[in-house]
Amino acid sequence: MAGQGCQGRAGCRSAGRDAGAGPGARGSFPGRSGPGAPGPPGQSPCAMSGAPGGRRPPFPALPGERVLEEAAGARRRRGNGGGSVPGTLLCTNRRLAFVPGQAPGSRGLLRPEDEVALPCIHKLVAASSFSKPKVLTAASTLKFIPEELAVFCRDFRLLRFSFPENGLAPQAFRVANAIAQAREAAARLGDAADGWASPGEAVPEEEEEEDEGSSTTLLFESLRDWEEELQRLGAAGWRVSAVNERFDMAPSLPQYLWVPSGLLDHDLKRTFGHFQERRVPRLCWHHPGGGHLLRAASFHPASEPGSEDVRCLEELLLGGRGPCVLADTAELPTLADIQLAHLRLRALCLPGAVAEEKWLSALEGTRWLDHVRSCLRKAAEVASLLAGKRCSVILQEPSDRDLNCLLASLVQLLGDPHARSLPGFQSLVQREWVAAGHPFPRRLGLLCQDSPREEAPVFLLFLDCTWQLLWQFPAHFGFTEAFLLALHDSSFSPDCSTFRFSCQRQRGRSSLPRLPSQTYRPMGGWQEPGGHRGHPNPCSFPPVWAWGRRYSRQQREQFRNPAGPPGPAGPPTPSTPAEPCPWGEPRLVLALAKGSLCPHSLPWWSRPPQRPPLWGSPSGSQGTLGGLLGTSCQPPPGLLLPCTAGPCVRLWHRCYLRGLPQEQRGRLAPSLAGLTEELQLLQERLRAWNLRRPH
Amino acid sequence: MRLGVAALPGDRSFRCLPARGKRWELPPPPRAGAMLGGGARASKPSFVSYISPEEIHIKEPIEKEVNPHLLPGELLLCEASTVCKYVQEDGSHRGTYGKLVCTNFKISFLDDDSASDDNEPQFKNKIVGENDITLQCVDQIYGVFDEKKKLLTGQLRKYPETLIIYCKDLRVFNFCLRYTKEEEVKRIVSGIVHHSQTPKLLKRLFLFSYASAAPNNTDGRNQTVMFETLEDWRDELERTKGNVKYKAVTTNEGYRVSEKLPLYFVVPICISEENILKYEGRGIPIWCWSCHNGAALLKMSSFPKEQDDSTSQMQKAFLDGIYKTISKPPYELLRMDDLSSSLPSLQDIQTAYTRFKQLFLIDNSMDFWATDVKWFSLLESTNWLEIIRKVLKKAIEVAECLEIQHTNVLLIEESATDLCCVISSLVQVMMDSYSRTKSGFQSLIQKEWVIGGHSFLDRCNHLRKSEKEEAPVFLLLLNCVWQLVQQYPPAFEFTETYLTVLSDSLYVPIFSTFFFNSQHQRDTNKSGESIKTQSGPFRFLTVWDWSVQFDPKALAFLNNPLYAEKPKPDRSQRKTSRFKHQRQLSLPLTQAKPSTKRGFFREETDLFFKNILGKRIGKLINSSDEPPNSFREFYDSWHSKPVDYHGLLLPRIDGPEIKVWAQRYLRWIPEAQLHGGGTIATAARILDLMEEVQSLQVKMDEEHSQAVSGDVHSVPLLRNSARLSSLFPFALLQRQSVKPALPTSTWKDLEDEDDLVKRDDEFVDLSGDML
Repeated sequence: MAGQGCQGRAGCRSAGRDAGAGPGARGSFPGRSGPGAPGPPGQSPCAMSGAPGGRRPPFPALPGERVLEEAAGARRRRGNGGGSVPGTLLCTNRRLAFVPGQAPGSRGLLRPEDEVALPCIHKLVAASSFSKPKVLTAASTLKFIPEELAVFCRDFRLLRFSFPENGLAPQAFRVANAIAQAREAAARLGDAADGWASPGEAVPEEEEEEDEGSSTTLLFESLRDWEEELQRLGAAGWRVSAVNERFDMAPSLPQYLWVPSGLLDHDLKRTFGHFQERRVPRLCWHHPGGGHLLRAASFHPASEPGSEDVRCLEELLLGGRGPCVLADTAELPTLADIQLAHLRLRALCLPGAVAEEKWLSALEGTRWLDHVRSCLRKAAEVASLLAGKRCSVILQEPSDRDLNCLLASLVQLLGDPHARSLPGFQSLVQREWVAAGHPFPRRLGLLCQDSPREEAPVFLLFLDCTWQLLWQFPAHFGFTEAFLLALHDSSFSPDCSTFRFSCQRQRGRSSLPRLPSQTYRPMGGWQEPGGHRGHPNPCSFPPVWAWGRRYSRQQREQFRNPAGPPGPAGPPTPSTPAEPCPWGEPRLVLALAKGSLCPHSLPWWSRPPQRPPLWGSPSGSQGTLGGLLGTSCQPPPGLLLPCTAGPCVRLWHRCYLRGLPQEQRGRLAPSLAGLTEELQLLQERLRAWNLRRPH
Repeated sequence: MRLGVAALPGDRSFRCLPARGKRWELPPPPRAGAMLGGGARASKPSFVSYISPEEIHIKEPIEKEVNPHLLPGELLLCEASTVCKYVQEDGSHRGTYGKLVCTNFKISFLDDDSASDDNEPQFKNKIVGENDITLQCVDQIYGVFDEKKKLLTGQLRKYPETLIIYCKDLRVFNFCLRYTKEEEVKRIVSGIVHHSQTPKLLKRLFLFSYASAAPNNTDGRNQTVMFETLEDWRDELERTKGNVKYKAVTTNEGYRVSEKLPLYFVVPICISEENILKYEGRGIPIWCWSCHNGAALLKMSSFPKEQDDSTSQMQKAFLDGIYKTISKPPYELLRMDDLSSSLPSLQDIQTAYTRFKQLFLIDNSMDFWATDVKWFSLLESTNWLEIIRKVLKKAIEVAECLEIQHTNVLLIEESATDLCCVISSLVQVMMDSYSRTKSGFQSLIQKEWVIGGHSFLDRCNHLRKSEKEEAPVFLLLLNCVWQLVQQYPPAFEFTETYLTVLSDSLYVPIFSTFFFNSQHQRDTNKSGESIKTQSGPFRFLTVWDWSVQFDPKALAFLNNPLYAEKPKPDRSQRKTSRFKHQRQLSLPLTQAKPSTKRGFFREETDLFFKNILGKRIGKLINSSDEPPNSFREFYDSWHSKPVDYHGLLLPRIDGPEIKVWAQRYLRWIPEAQLHGGGTIATAARILDLMEEVQSLQVKMDEEHSQAVSGDVHSVPLLRNSARLSSLFPFALLQRQSVKPALPTSTWKDLEDEDDLVKRDDEFVDLSGDML
């Protein structure tokens, strides 16, 4: 169990390496208390001055964070009848925070449940006994003194603050208005993208936790990460191409791509124009048995490749690696579906949304679980295809930036034990989502200029799917539900860079004014307007994986699954190679649809294939996946085949029902963790005995 | 809904299906061959793919003569050979050949597997095997006549091709009789239907033959308190410190008072013997349990509706007198709760459960997937989970009265043996941590249900006398307890597997526990006057002797390794100090008083949240006219505190929290199986850890060179935990469960690509057929 977990910044290699360059480029680096100073690290001066009475414990402000307004003596309610905690309610330019009266922790960390990032606030409602409750926005300010403030969050939390009457009235009024204003401002700031990348160096932890071994999170910002990972996968016949190093081939793709070794960069360049957003097929994962997982955008409708281009395209797509299976996203929910389901789910999970006896049908009505099921089913089909036969599967989504991210990572979770370890999972998210250019800010609705139609929590859907797997296969994951929850909540957090940008290019250019990252030019290179050469400037905010900044050691310990696989996942077992492709035809292209395969043609093939469609049984798409697995009945070791039947797909209680009055409380693992602890204790004692024993 | 679907596409129809495509005409269909090869245990000769008569002839001589394993007293009634047991999952007519037998205890299918058990499963019931169905476990029998399903009861004129047996433990068996001799079909079908579906006399239960034939050498002494003696009741009174205000009475010795009441029971001290005798025990508050603060839970059977005015006047006066005496000090205030009006009726419960179980009695996977789309709304429409919620809510209300208001609660029901048992047992499980140990829970069942007089015989309809009386009341309790177990696993000494096994034991007629309506019925039938009395009174087995059904290795699965055991004080102190102390931990009395002054329950804010959050707050409890606030407050304040596993335990009852007891209801459904997953995966890890801890402890002890503790429980070894499936330890379905999503022929066809291309022309109309 040792050797997992990326704790502190040291765990994230790229960030650590680049840290030196960050602050210098930015200027206005806030003064930092010395290592021995009593105050919490990273306390910015303005935050200190923001405390008028000085009675409250110091507020651990982030770099560049300013306290706008505060109300001491507010109370945070916990649950319904769970009492309330006195403390100070603060509104900063980044978040809403509550500092409890008692010192929260020796290291000045805010408990994550006590803060809300401004973009994460969905709705703000103020109420008093004399007036109707009122939804606060920047445009419509408060006309009465609030007695209660309810904060509805996008991450399903509901925070409630009350202001006792003893002379708090003006403060309560000011704080409430300030929050409404700041929220609007933050959204506008977010649009500019660089607003988040404001100066400031993420403060190193006082007790920097050394990484325990080789398992670290790869950020895929440097060539080395890509090479290392390719080596781990053992994908012979593939290389890292730096053809997009300056983002001139495809602006939304990462700098480095995994492409077939047989394809020269010169040839590779010919292929970009034939895919939407110039997102060419590239390797995601290599199954030890010889299967390949690729992802790509769909073919550009206007492209008409010449014969030379066709050669390059087919080398990239087929490359003599056995049959090529195109898996599109037709059976998966659309972005609008996901957004609608998520909104419905959020409404359902508010207290009092639906009568108890109607809960189940209301849940069904949200269709959220249906979407979870269809994603899992599709991923399981692809994963078993890869495990069963030596073929290559190409995930093809029109934009290649949303559901492809989800599918590619799910397939790897199912098939690759390494992806199920904590660092492996973090690397996976980093590669398939962050580097691959999932437009987080728009999808999570962190911007206000974009039309709401752009919002679709694909990443949260992925986390839900992951949770389902975790719940179905608790012994196969190195991380826990607590980790997923932390990740879920962090996706709205203002102080980590991971989810702030739409692609690597934008991240690198974050100090420049916002660029239309979607600009597509059919052919020819993309000309970089600025003179950025070589490495883009890394963002100065740490990635979300630096958990030590926001979570205490105790909390982080809960990220690791004590019931998970005993050791860090070793190198992929050189397992029995999958059945080799027995048929000789190199140009076989199939499409995976509704759980069955049928011949398919590439758009430039003049003659459609003359073969009859080969269908699976009509119910097959929903059944288990033995057929895709080839001949073995039990799934091969390492491959997880989730059950997608109704009773097996569940609501993620701890995530979605946090807003309900009764908080979800330690029902999961504490006793298991306790057992592990006891075991360690016993082992230690035994060691002590052995030492004391006279020899 | 499911019953309407013809389960069998039929051999004939399948065989003619591919006939139009030329390449399919050769006898062994490639798809079937591929499937056979696909089985993990394909080497077993007993696995046959699509049956055709030709194959039968080959098969028959191989079939060994297998004999059923008979228990003492078990008689073979009829048998039939060459019966094929279908693998239920996909209607693909794969299956195993063997012999179907019916005895006076069970219906049993014997195949070659059972004769040569090479790999013993880790969890095995010694009495009822994988292919055994006790006669009491049979729920319904259907016959398939020309692809139509028909319910079989009583006399038969025609004999079916296939017999479908639905079991009360939710297994479904499909037996194909097409290749069986007609004579045998007649005998076996009418035998099975007669012995399992028609009314029978109590004395014909296998229980009696077994008890008279089996050598009874069980020591009989386990930790479960049986409540058959006066001492047991006195001990219980002493344990709960109810002995100041309540007394165990002997009035019913010889069943003078009533045949429904137990021989001994406990009443308030002030109740006189005449009062008890006056209305056969009706209208008398009977003690169930005392809370640490002295408040007690009582139950009372009410008077039936009386036409005669004067009689009902007298009864009313009698009741008033009783209430007056037990409301006076030293007794606490009394709250009465008429369960027949505040809870669903037995009829509702039976209807809901009948609908609910249909969701899990799966004939084939087509049906399963057909209903899967609407899973949640179907589940909701059964109303079963809603009934569970109502019952749990009622139990919380009662607990609140006892714990917070220090009020005695009197549960009233017509017979006081159905919902009274459910509520009083639940309250005790929630409030008394002793009831959450295995022996404590068993004693509780014994006290409230077995001796308490729940009519198991009628409610389970063991004798097939009347369906009107049938109602799964005891199952309802187990379902409610399961909710608690899965919400707070560390608080229980037993596991959900224990509950599942207990629910299965309801239908195993070698134990007397669940096969009598009352203690009186049991006692009168025990003497064995009528039948040959060679050995005096029968000595029945009790279900609590789990070693009868399970080996020690399997027994380990019933114990929760993560049970947060109380550090045991001295045995002598246990009875006195333990109970009071631990409850105060959970709910300090200072919290009990609602701080109405300037707390968080001010009216305005409540109003506020009602306004902005909808009407939910208080909805939970608003069914009664009682002011719901105390309940809600109690519930919320308890849930806002950390859980003390030895104290009061309140279930969560909000919409999303009531779940389906997956282990019991999904265990036979291959579609819901997870290879290497499910809770068993965690459990296996825990057991590994436990084992390691224990070996370390042993080492420590050796180092200490002190006496070895000798307290090392045996822990089952689940070495290959990664290969276990989520259905473990019940279904042994792994081998047949995976159904191809893509027919393997797809790949095969692709492999014959060249052929295909050449034969493009002949293929024109095949695609339609294959769909």
